[in-house]
Amino acid sequence: MLKLENVTKYYGDFLAVDHLSFEVRPGEIFGLLGVNGAGKTTTFRMIMGLLDMTEGSITLDGKKIDYDVTDQIGFLTEERSLLTKMTVKEQCLFYGTLKGMKEETILSRLDELLERFEVPEYKDKKIKELSKGNQQKIQFITAILNEPKLLILDEPFSGLDPFNVEIFKKEIISLAEKGSMIIFSSHRMEHVELFCKKLVIMLQGKPVISGYLKDIKEQYRKKNIFVKGNVTSKDFESIPGVVEVIEHADELEVKIESEDVVDKVFKIVSKKKHITKFVVEEPTLNEIFVSKVGESYEK
Amino acid sequence: MKSNQSKKMWYLVGVSLKRKVKTKWFVIANILLAAMIIGVMNIDTIITAFGGDFNEKTTVYVLDETNESYDIFQSQMGVIDQTAEDDQSDEEPEYVVKKYQKTEKELKQEIQDDDKKIGIVISHSEQNVVDVTLISNDFLDVLETQRITSAINNTKTALAITKSSISEEELAAIYNPVKINRIYLDESKTEEDESSQMIMGVVFPIIILPFFMLTLFLVQMIGAEVNDEKTTRGMEIIIANVSPTAHFFSKVIAGNAFVIMQGILLFAYAAIGFVTRMVIGGDQIIGGFGDEIGSVVSNVMGSGIGQSLIYIIPLTLILMILTFIAYSLLAGILASMTTNIEDFQQLQTPIVIISLVGYYLATLSSMFGGSLFIKIFSYIPFISAILSPSLLLVGEIGIIDIIISIVLVIMTNFLLVKYGLKIYKVGILNYSSKGLWRKMFKALKD
Repeated sequence: MLKLENVTKYYGDFLAVDHLSFEVRPGEIFGLLGVNGAGKTTTFRMIMGLLDMTEGSITLDGKKIDYDVTDQIGFLTEERSLLTKMTVKEQCLFYGTLKGMKEETILSRLDELLERFEVPEYKDKKIKELSKGNQQKIQFITAILNEPKLLILDEPFSGLDPFNVEIFKKEIISLAEKGSMIIFSSHRMEHVELFCKKLVIMLQGKPVISGYLKDIKEQYRKKNIFVKGNVTSKDFESIPGVVEVIEHADELEVKIESEDVVDKVFKIVSKKKHITKFVVEEPTLNEIFVSKVGESYEK
Repeated sequence: MKSNQSKKMWYLVGVSLKRKVKTKWFVIANILLAAMIIGVMNIDTIITAFGGDFNEKTTVYVLDETNESYDIFQSQMGVIDQTAEDDQSDEEPEYVVKKYQKTEKELKQEIQDDDKKIGIVISHSEQNVVDVTLISNDFLDVLETQRITSAINNTKTALAITKSSISEEELAAIYNPVKINRIYLDESKTEEDESSQMIMGVVFPIIILPFFMLTLFLVQMIGAEVNDEKTTRGMEIIIANVSPTAHFFSKVIAGNAFVIMQGILLFAYAAIGFVTRMVIGGDQIIGGFGDEIGSVVSNVMGSGIGQSLIYIIPLTLILMILTFIAYSLLAGILASMTTNIEDFQQLQTPIVIISLVGYYLATLSSMFGGSLFIKIFSYIPFISAILSPSLLLVGEIGIIDIIISIVLVIMTNFLLVKYGLKIYKVGILNYSSKGLWRKMFKALKD
């Protein structure tokens, strides 16, 4: 289990991470979210031992993370971290060996992964000759080459088309199923929502939301009702507890303060004819994120 | 350093060396260097192959109107030619002296349009023993003129001596070379030192230039590697698995191994050039670089200075290797502080200037006899390796001074490792030039 307890990092007088605590268990995919400069990369660097923390502790299976442990970690950085003059094979041999892997293991695992990512023909190509998306694939392959116990993914879908995003998703889920602990960071909330049962949303180094996604959504209370039929926004705007009504192409989205308002909206809808859709949905993570981050910004 | 870190450090050393050796730049530079070194050592053969002729001798036609000067002149020219060959000068021409039996007018026609022919007309003179007319198609070079003038003057002296009824024994004694006994008022100086000074006057420019070149290669290699890993952000993955200490030393070891390998290659090219010269018979031709080396080697063997070279060579090598390490440590530290290769090139300028100062001081060291200033410079790390050996050989400094230089470089290396490593650890993961110096000073304080 990866455990962060009260992790704090100062750069001079600047507080980059403020008392951050969370746990990631084997098989869990954990979301670490935040706007740019929130302290995510600093947190990743502290987990990897690249930066010393000012306060707190980070352990993996109860052990402080040092160079004996980092061989079991995979790290995909937000920016490309490939030596572009090397070929794919050379790059994988280089990073694999630095993770303590044997050459034959690296090469057989590489062949397997290149097949799975549908790029076996790139094995002897130089990294700089590959497209951005294919470079991202190779970077991902180098991160999971050692079948890591802990995998840190900082914006893994950057530069990928929807088809390749699906390949990545499948691989990430498969790794979690095999027992890897995965920390995932992305600006794309729909991806985080899809993978992560647990998450932390950071703002200016502080965790503003933390816990299981289900609980976070419940605590958020607000719901969205989608109505399709012979209705207009005016029908709902005057109902107490309705925050906003958004007109989409062929339906209305009624944002309500809490579940208690659902009955009031339903009463109005039930009086109307030709209603083809009435669905109550949880708020999206994106809404929660924007709302919480917005609140904190205002404060 | 833990064993797995040590293993990874040696792996990084291997990868760095392999990456360097596989670059097009390295291959092209070595092809050019090999061609240049082998070519320079066989330049005479190459020129001959393209139509030049190093064997063509200058014919000196002597129209002897005195009927007694020709034999003396011919023997004097022979003596001067032989002396020039013994001096191993590259410039000495060879002469064929021929007696000319026709008229002066015909002699001029013979020489017309031929730069390899010289005419000398020797006639009686009441006041001056002989008068001489020197005829050539074009200007003669200074050395040629000096040799012919010298032979004519000797001929004149010999004629005068012969006419003054001196015995043959006395005449032979006059022409015997003077034996010079050397006395050195400085008791620490010996004739061996003087020989070694002469020899090293040739040897050290051969060593100093490659040392200077290799220093630049070393600084460039380390800077380029660290910056390549930093700019591609590969550094984060590397440092996540290898400690900054292991990474730093891997660069230093790889850099030094590379320059030593490159140095060996340079000597190998010289050896190939030498062997080529032996095989194609170029060593018999005047004016080759091989002659120079050959004569230096034979002088070393013959002069008996081998004993002093026994300590001069190892001490110089130790000083050079320690200085390479100092340059590589400094280059690594500076490279870690920069965010791209352009920044590094600016930051390495002071290193290049220091190296250049050392190079010029070393090549001009014989001009600064007795200067305290130059002696102090010979202790300064980074410069000492290039300057001290030259000063030692011209007798400006002693062996103790070289040892002091070695101790100072060791101390510098210790300080560079102790404090530089702190900067390196912070620098390699720093991607912003903003507040760079503040960060570095903070790293030093921490």
